[in-house]
Amino acid sequence: MQAWSAVAVFVAAYLLIASERIHRVAAALGGAAAMVVIGATDSDAAFFSPESGVDWNVIFLLLGMMIIVGVLRQTGLFEFLAIWAAKRGKGHPFRVMTLLVLITAVASAALDNVTTVLLVAPVTLLVCERLGVPPVPFLVAEVMASNIGGTATLIGDPPNIIISSRAHLTFNDFIVHLAPIVVLLTAVLVVLCRFLLARDLTYDPERARLVMALEEREAIHDPQLLRRALAVLALVFAGFVLHSVIHIEPALVALLGAGLAVLVSRMGPQHYLAEVEWETLVFFMGLFVMVGGLVEVGVIEQLGQAVVDGVGDRFLLAATVLLFGSAVLSGIVDNIPFVTTMTPLVADLVDAGGAQAHGLWWALALGADLGGNATAVGASANVVVLGIARRSGHPISFWEFTRYGIVVTAVTVTLCWPYLWLRYFL
Amino acid sequence: MEPLPLVTRDTDGVAAMEILAGHPASGVVVQNAQGVVEAVVPGVDLLRLVVPRYVLDDPRLAHVYDEAGAEELVTRLRGRTIGDLLDDGRVRPRPVPPSVLPEDTVMEIAALMCTERLPLILVRDRAGRLHGGIILSRLMQALLDLSGTGR
Repeated sequence: MQAWSAVAVFVAAYLLIASERIHRVAAALGGAAAMVVIGATDSDAAFFSPESGVDWNVIFLLLGMMIIVGVLRQTGLFEFLAIWAAKRGKGHPFRVMTLLVLITAVASAALDNVTTVLLVAPVTLLVCERLGVPPVPFLVAEVMASNIGGTATLIGDPPNIIISSRAHLTFNDFIVHLAPIVVLLTAVLVVLCRFLLARDLTYDPERARLVMALEEREAIHDPQLLRRALAVLALVFAGFVLHSVIHIEPALVALLGAGLAVLVSRMGPQHYLAEVEWETLVFFMGLFVMVGGLVEVGVIEQLGQAVVDGVGDRFLLAATVLLFGSAVLSGIVDNIPFVTTMTPLVADLVDAGGAQAHGLWWALALGADLGGNATAVGASANVVVLGIARRSGHPISFWEFTRYGIVVTAVTVTLCWPYLWLRYFL
Repeated sequence: MEPLPLVTRDTDGVAAMEILAGHPASGVVVQNAQGVVEAVVPGVDLLRLVVPRYVLDDPRLAHVYDEAGAEELVTRLRGRTIGDLLDDGRVRPRPVPPSVLPEDTVMEIAALMCTERLPLILVRDRAGRLHGGIILSRLMQALLDLSGTGR
């Protein structure tokens, strides 16, 4: 009876999150509270259980990186890079688009996607205004580059952080397994941009001169702050990469980096805490307690057993369903609750299948991350860019975005299938 | 008392800026065809429409914005009337300021300005006709002159 009650609470909360009838944080916290009320979980499980409680590694890794980004944002580095790229492209629209796509993809791998597009989109509007070209194709290309680039690393996209924590995968695991395909997908995105988005962009030498007149160095007001912030970021990445040597978990590395960034930047909390998305952190906590309730009452175990029995040793089929199913669902609903729910099930499959089932983690990550490109609401970065575009007088409709998003998602996710097959299941 | 920076709903946005540029007031006064004051549009709201939205989103871009693009700034307002801007909510009008009579004293005007915490008071006669306005800086100068310490 308790198991059915827990399932009912979970389904109701999930439907509320997916339909956005109430705010997602309220739905997740309400679901977590209902799990406590029906006795599916308690304080010991919710706060201290590694299997069914709040995953503090995820929460503190996100918090640490958000604080580091809060400091880095003040340096003007992204504005510098974007203007530098526009000048390197000599004002040729497609060259400029390509360079902005590459910068966005790399930055999204190193930081979170939302921050990256928040920093790149305004400067893109400036560059497009100078070039006299419509900014919408550039903004759409950048947000897609952001979702693809973020797939490459442990910290690039929240689903990867959840997967890394639950699957005990390191920063280097993500680089080794996902970065190669992401590099290929970014190159494919550039080609797609040429035919989908840059067809009508024309070069105007007079306009190009206006771009070349921009002075990118003016964006960096405090070079010392930039040097210090970059040094901290380099140390944090060294900490991630050297995990097998120093044995410090990524969450602690990020927190130490955040503390160091605050110390060397000498900023007030209103600056370095400005980038902390408390809403996202609380949403994660609510989800972990909610899914933990299902774990505590045995629903996940039974479901996992059923999935293991159903899949048997057909791991390629399971990876195919995970890859395409995750992509479709992530395009429609928030990929964070989806991945939070799926990780215990995939963990059961990988435990049962051993090394030959390991590729399932990468199928889940690729599907969930790349699926965010499919629709205008598929990822937080999409929603943010649409908001910036609307405020700037260049609205992008849901269908205008989705028209391109479906093509890019279909191509990129389909390309992942042979990669998974060749690398893990052949 | 001095003439107010008066506009109508049909005044072009750039023309409104030009009127305000030649006046020490901080906003333009919108009159209807009958000469009745409908609203006061803050000058800073007009300014917000000239400054690119992306600079407001990312103030660091203000550092890289050079004069090469300045000619396009004011064109954002061209062809858009004050009425258009009021109707689509792009400017947020302040309430019509209270008024004094032409024969009211400096102290009466100062007291009203303090009570209402407004830097502009309209001057109307008993028939309701608008004669002009009194702005804070002028009133202060008048007070200094009265006390014998004015320049």
